[in-house]
Amino acid sequence: MKYLRRLPLSAMLLTFYSLLFFAFIYAPLALIVTYSFNANPVNMMVWDGFTLDWYRIILGLKDRPVDIVNSSSAYLDSTDQLLEALRNSLIIATSTTTISTVIGTSAAIALARFRFRMRGFYRGLMMMPMTMPDIVLGIGLLIFFVSAGAKLGLTTIIIGHCTFLTSYVFIIVQARMAGLDPALEEASADLGANEWLTFRKVLLPQLMPGIAGGAMLAFIISMDDLVITYFISGTDSTTLPVFIFSMVRRGVKPEINAIATLIILVSIIIAAVGLWLRARRKD
Amino acid sequence: MTQILEVRGARRVFKTPEGGTVAALDGVDLDVGQNEFVTLLGPSGCGKTTLLRSISGFEQLDSGALMLEGKDIGRMPAFRRPVNTVFQSYALFSHMTVERNVAYSLEVAGASKQEQKILAGEALEMVGLSGTGSRMPSQLSGGQRQRVALARAIVARPKLLLLDEPLSALDRRLRQKMQIELKALQSELGIAFVFVTHDQEEALTMSDRIVVMRGGQIEQCGAPRDIFRKPRTKFVAEFIGDTNLFETTIECVHGGRILALTREGTKIWLSEETKLAKGDAATVVIRPTDLQVQDAHSSCGFRGKITRVIYLGTDLHYYVQPAVGGQELLVVSRTDGSRRAPGDEVTLTYRPERAHVVEDC
Ligand SMILES: Nc1ncnc2c1ncn2[C@@H]1O[C@H](COP(=O)(O)OP(=O)(O)OP(=O)(O)O)[C@@H](O)[C@H]1O
Ligand SMILES: [Mg+2]
Repeated sequence: MKYLRRLPLSAMLLTFYSLLFFAFIYAPLALIVTYSFNANPVNMMVWDGFTLDWYRIILGLKDRPVDIVNSSSAYLDSTDQLLEALRNSLIIATSTTTISTVIGTSAAIALARFRFRMRGFYRGLMMMPMTMPDIVLGIGLLIFFVSAGAKLGLTTIIIGHCTFLTSYVFIIVQARMAGLDPALEEASADLGANEWLTFRKVLLPQLMPGIAGGAMLAFIISMDDLVITYFISGTDSTTLPVFIFSMVRRGVKPEINAIATLIILVSIIIAAVGLWLRARRKD
Repeated sequence: MTQILEVRGARRVFKTPEGGTVAALDGVDLDVGQNEFVTLLGPSGCGKTTLLRSISGFEQLDSGALMLEGKDIGRMPAFRRPVNTVFQSYALFSHMTVERNVAYSLEVAGASKQEQKILAGEALEMVGLSGTGSRMPSQLSGGQRQRVALARAIVARPKLLLLDEPLSALDRRLRQKMQIELKALQSELGIAFVFVTHDQEEALTMSDRIVVMRGGQIEQCGAPRDIFRKPRTKFVAEFIGDTNLFETTIECVHGGRILALTREGTKIWLSEETKLAKGDAATVVIRPTDLQVQDAHSSCGFRGKITRVIYLGTDLHYYVQPAVGGQELLVVSRTDGSRRAPGDEVTLTYRPERAHVVEDC
């Protein structure tokens, strides 16, 4: 308190503002986590004691209470479905990350290093999908797939995600590329490395932070995408966000809180591992 | 001396974005001998970098020939040319340790790890950086990075080393130190150096031969002493060191002796061979160090009055306004003579063989 009193007014206001800001961001998350341990099955706003039941239920370790199964509010049809959706999401995110990282990176390198006509035009084309509203992209893709006679499923979702995730990777790698001294590649060639060796030993490692950042972003967006996926997923290829969305449409129930909490936990673990790896590489 | 590099009629024309063209190289002929230290000197934009990049292979000549040890390398891709470069920006690979940077050319050539380690260690020792091999380039000072770039370029013992203003980012003291070290390293290695600079002092200290360029062409090529003493043109005279220029008319030529008259009517005696004849216009150069300040009553020379005296440690700069009018003259003399003050009437004398006629372009 002594410390607080000595702060000038501006600093105090700033501290207050930051606290408010973090509260604004983290309060909903904290609420979800708290509710996921609430034993009250009917009204989760009312605390009814601590329980891990919701976790047990979504993991299939425990059957849901009979009264819930029989009531109309039963919505988690089976844990299998949830796991299936999660599996789909992971397959889609992994493939789209791989594909869009490769395409986006090569496009960024090509546009930065080779001179050809209409470079500006191509650059614009690469960025466009990112600026397009999701809903437009979703409808466009749906019409395209349907008129091309493609069966909606994992493949169409992967193709659909790649169309806009490539832009994200492209933009991030391109920024890294622009900051790169062209003399580095010349130095490599000068020292006797052919184009392939220069790419592998100099260009790729130099671009790696950008590529990794782009890939991470692509993975997260792909895991998280609802609007576009909603249009182009078939009936038997549900992703996690689409699955959760359809659950919520039938009412927000405690199990959703448990699922959300698990997702938050996984995100934190991934971010922590990322930070740890980075810190370790520094020294 | 056998030539390691021969450049014949090199031409390179760039299109400018404004739609015009610039001849960065406009018919350049250049020979570099084995173990020779050649400096390319010239004002900004005269084509030094373009010439260097053409030799290393990053720039293609529009026409002309490029021979390395008698072999045509004009069409050879950069990575095959046995020529290495020290870049102005150093271009060190920031993701590799100093040792891996230095060993890079060995690594891509497929040398064993052990060989890489030994040779990189030797190269680092040569540039006075042993013990820093495991650091990253970001953990070095500017001068140290410069040395790493140098070690990296010499580790595979190229036939020819190209250096594009490698010292321009260093402070004056470090630069002078590096100039001496570079020169020593060059004679130790026995590699020919082509060194680019636009610092004439640097060129004079280090070079076996200086190539003065201007507008994509070679203006003059010769030993530092010749370039300084006998500049071929007014441009070279003014570019290399301070100089006093006199616009004159030849009054008479007689057996290696020339008498020239300035516009103001001052007589200048020269002692050199010339094709000029009576009545021709001629520009005469006398270096500030070749003028001596004498008492006013001395016989021949330039009469005048001292306007300014500048003390520069070992040297004194006198600015003298000739009595007959015309441009102020600069005299550089040692501080250990008799001091004179502004306002003193003096006569400036010179030895006739130190006056020199240059072409007027
Ligand atoms: N890629 C390019 N495109 C167009 N013009 C160029 C290009 N590279 C060089 N030039 C032009 O060619 C001329 C010579 O350039 P160069 O870089 O060789 O000069 P320089 O002697 O190295 O100058 P500095 O001392 O400033 O480095 C300049 O007029 C420059 O504008
Ligand atoms: Mg240059």
